[in-house]
Order: sequence, then C-alpha cells, then structure tokens
Amino acid sequence: MAEATTGRRPGVRFMSRSRLTGLLTVATVIALWFLLTSVTGLVGEFRFPSPPDFLAAFARLASTGYAGGTLLEQALQSLRLVAIGFAAAIAVGVPLGFVMGYDRRAEAFFNPIFLVLRPIPPLAWIPLAIVWLGLGDASKVLVIFVAAFVPSVINTYTGVRNVQRTLIEAALVHGAGQGRLIREVYLPDAAPMIFTGLRLSLQASWTTLVAAELVGAFLGMGRVLSTAYRDINTAMILVSMVCIAVLGAITMMILARVERSVIRWRKT
Amino acid sequence: MSEIVIDNVGKVFGEGGGRPFLAIDGVDLRVEDREVISVVGPSGCGKTTLMRMVAGLEHPTSGEVRVGGKRVTGPGPDRAVVFQQFALFPWKTVRENITFGMRSRGATKAERDAAVAHYLTLMKMEGTEDKYPHQLSGGMQQRVAIARSYATDPGVLLMDEPFGALDAQTRTIMQEELVRLTNDNPRTVMFITHSVEEAVYLADRVVVMARNPGRIREIIDVATTRKAEKWSEEPIDDVMEMPSFTHLRGQVWRLLREQMGSDI
Repeated sequence: MAEATTGRRPGVRFMSRSRLTGLLTVATVIALWFLLTSVTGLVGEFRFPSPPDFLAAFARLASTGYAGGTLLEQALQSLRLVAIGFAAAIAVGVPLGFVMGYDRRAEAFFNPIFLVLRPIPPLAWIPLAIVWLGLGDASKVLVIFVAAFVPSVINTYTGVRNVQRTLIEAALVHGAGQGRLIREVYLPDAAPMIFTGLRLSLQASWTTLVAAELVGAFLGMGRVLSTAYRDINTAMILVSMVCIAVLGAITMMILARVERSVIRWRKT
Repeated sequence: MSEIVIDNVGKVFGEGGGRPFLAIDGVDLRVEDREVISVVGPSGCGKTTLMRMVAGLEHPTSGEVRVGGKRVTGPGPDRAVVFQQFALFPWKTVRENITFGMRSRGATKAERDAAVAHYLTLMKMEGTEDKYPHQLSGGMQQRVAIARSYATDPGVLLMDEPFGALDAQTRTIMQEELVRLTNDNPRTVMFITHSVEEAVYLADRVVVMARNPGRIREIIDVATTRKAEKWSEEPIDDVMEMPSFTHLRGQVWRLLREQMGSDI
C-alpha cells in the first residue's frame, strides 16, 4: 500500500495542476454564459437559456418531473436500456470476435457477414426495430445491441489477431496447452484492444439510445429532449443534454475503473 | 538422455506459394547429452531456423530432428527456448513468469516457491518476485527469461541470441552467469549467436554455418582446450586474452570471413 501511494505522488501533483486549469476553463465558460445571457441579454432565452433558467428547468425535472417522469425515472429508464443492450452486445460480441481472431475457419465464415453489416449506420436500424418491436423497450435494446455489437467484435478480433507471435511461442515451448494459451496469453495480450472495443460500444450505446428515444419513446432522456424540443423549451433541452452527458460520463468512468482493475500490469 | 540428432534436415520456405527459398540444405548434427554447442554464421545461414526446428516451432521439409530418441513434431517443455527479445509475459510478475513452465509440468506450490527463491538468489535478484517485467532492466528481464526456461527443467535449452539485445557490460556478466549455471546444472544447450567470442567462450563445440543454402561449414572443438587451459577458473576478460582462446577465435573468424569474401 505504502509503495502504491509513494509511486503515485508525482502523478497526483500533475493531475491537480491540470485539474486547476480545467476548473479555470469551466469557470470562464460559466462567467461568459452569465455575461451573454443574464447580464447583457445579448443572447435571448429562445436561443439559449440563462443560468437561472437552466437551474429552474433542472429543479423542475428533478422534482415534479417532465415528459412523463422525474429526472430519476427518466435517467434510470435510459441507464437500464443501455445496460441491457450493451451487456447483451458484448456478451455475444467479445466471444465472437475472439473466435474470429483465434480460428482461421471462424474468421473465413463470419468476416463476409461483417463486411455486409458494418457499413450500415446503427441509426438506420431504428425504423426496422420499431416496426418489428414497437415503441417500447425491446426495440431500443435491439438498436443498442446492433450498434454496440460491431465495435466489440471488430476490436476483439483485431486484438486477438495481433497477439504477439513470440509470446505465443514462449508459452508453447514452456508447455502451455490450449486452455492456458487462451487464458494466459491471448486474453491478456488482447485485453487493451478488447477494452477499446468496449469503450466504443458503450459510446455507441448512448448515441443510439438517445436517437431511438428521440424517434419515439414513452420514457427516457431522449424523450425528455424531444418533448423539450416540441415545447421550444431551450432550458429543458440544455438540461437533458447535460444529464445525458453526465450519465454517459458515469458509465464510461465505471468501465475505465473495470479496465484498470483488470489490466494491472500497465506502465502508467 | 537428451541428445539432439539433426538428421539430414532441409527446410524450404514459401513452398505453398511465392518463390520457394532453400533455407537449409542437408544438415547433419549430433549434440550429445549435456553438451553445449554454439552456432555461428552469417545472417541468412539458417541458424535460427535450425534452432526453431529443434524447438518444434518450424518443421523440416526433409529429414528429421530427434531429441532423446523421439522425433520432434511440435513444441514442448522438454525443449525450452530463451528468445532474443526475452518474450516475458508483461502481465505476469517475475514469480509468475519463472514458474510458467513449471506449472505445465504440474509442479506443486512449494516446489514453485523454492524454484523462484533459488533462481532469484542465483541471479542476485532477490526481492523482485512481485515486479512486472517492465519494471526491470533488460539484463534482469533476460535473467528472468533464462530462469523461466531453466525452472521448466528441460533436457534441452535452446537459446536464440539471448544476449543480443543487451549492452556490452551486461552481456559479459550474463555470459559468465550462463557458464556457471551450465556447470552447476548441466543441460544440452544449443546457443545461437553472431558473436564469435561468445560462441567460443560458452560452447564445447562451435558449429560454423554457411549460407546459400544454409549448411554446416565446419565444427570446431573447444571443450578439450577449455579443460586443458582451465578456462572456467578464470574471469571472462582474462580467458578472452589467453592465447588458447584467441587462437580458436581466429580459427572461427577465418571461416566466417572467407564466406564474406565470397560475397563481395
């Protein structure tokens, strides 16, 4: 423990300095925001809300609710769908990508399917998903699945394909069988690429979820956004944008934490 | 008994497509049990390919390799390889790297702990068992790689320019350590190098190869001289200045230079 803290000390100092710069930037932006809206009135409220308007809209969403639910209900709805769609996508995508990278026959079999599916933008699946499954949760989960699936497969596949030849050989000449080869060489060496895929998948999950909810939903952050747009409520539009950003950032941080606990051997 | 028999081995690359290239042609070599041989030759003479065929990482297109009387068909822990680029597992600690091959052989935890302690003491690396490879210097990494191969307890140790990536000083220390290790714990060793000094200093016999196609040019005996002149009792720098050493080194050099001449 003691070693870990001392080892991190220079990093902490660097972080706090960059964090200070970051805080200054945020403070400047908020000051400018105040100046352009509340103070001078150069930007009208139909273009962009003032900080007090923004806070009022946030308070309203958090307490009485908006577009069919409170902030907590709306956020949990979106989080739940992202979690289900993302989990399903990586549960299928990572093993499939692994098999494609590990086995030439699997690669030959699955690659053509991807060459056809890959160029279709995930959002283009939304109409079909709604026609099939309606405006409820199932269609959103399907769209998230399709969007998150591709990057997790492609990156896992690439990571496994590029496992260092000499490490495979080192394992073989020291008697490793197929099981140990996969667990102790292929998976750890491909892990950084697999996590890159997971990050891209998670980003894609949020993008497609919001888009799908914009097209039609009963509840969720995208629904808040589309309702605010119909009401021409710029303050609520901004509130939902910020909430979506915060939710996305929280899930990315969770993923980054998982990555750090799995990949402990990294230099940094 | 772990003697290596290379029986009329040939290797052609690119037979499937492209222009076939004859890398090795009709090599016959017998390495006795617990004998150390080094292989030198100009680049492209197929010395690494030859070693890789003994390791089972490449397959001969003609002839066969036998180790301990058994035909080599693939890699196995009876023939551990030390690679030039160390090839340690970056996600494993020193302890986990050293015991990697032992686990293949089903060694118990107690045996593994004992081996880690033994090799780290031997290599003056106590206290590094929980470090990751990137936290070690190049010389230390290669020591761990050698310990990993040794701890696997193979009959045959194959070394592919293991000290090639090290600086001159570390290299000298490692050469001395290797001699000590092979004295204390004799193994059949096939040592690939492009350093003539290293080849003569470490081996019982030096195999000089030629290229186009890769074949054995000559085999020079060192063991007789080493024993007579008591090389193993002197530090490496002194050995390398002894007339008996420089004579053998010159002999190997001439064989190599004559090939370079034919190139120009």
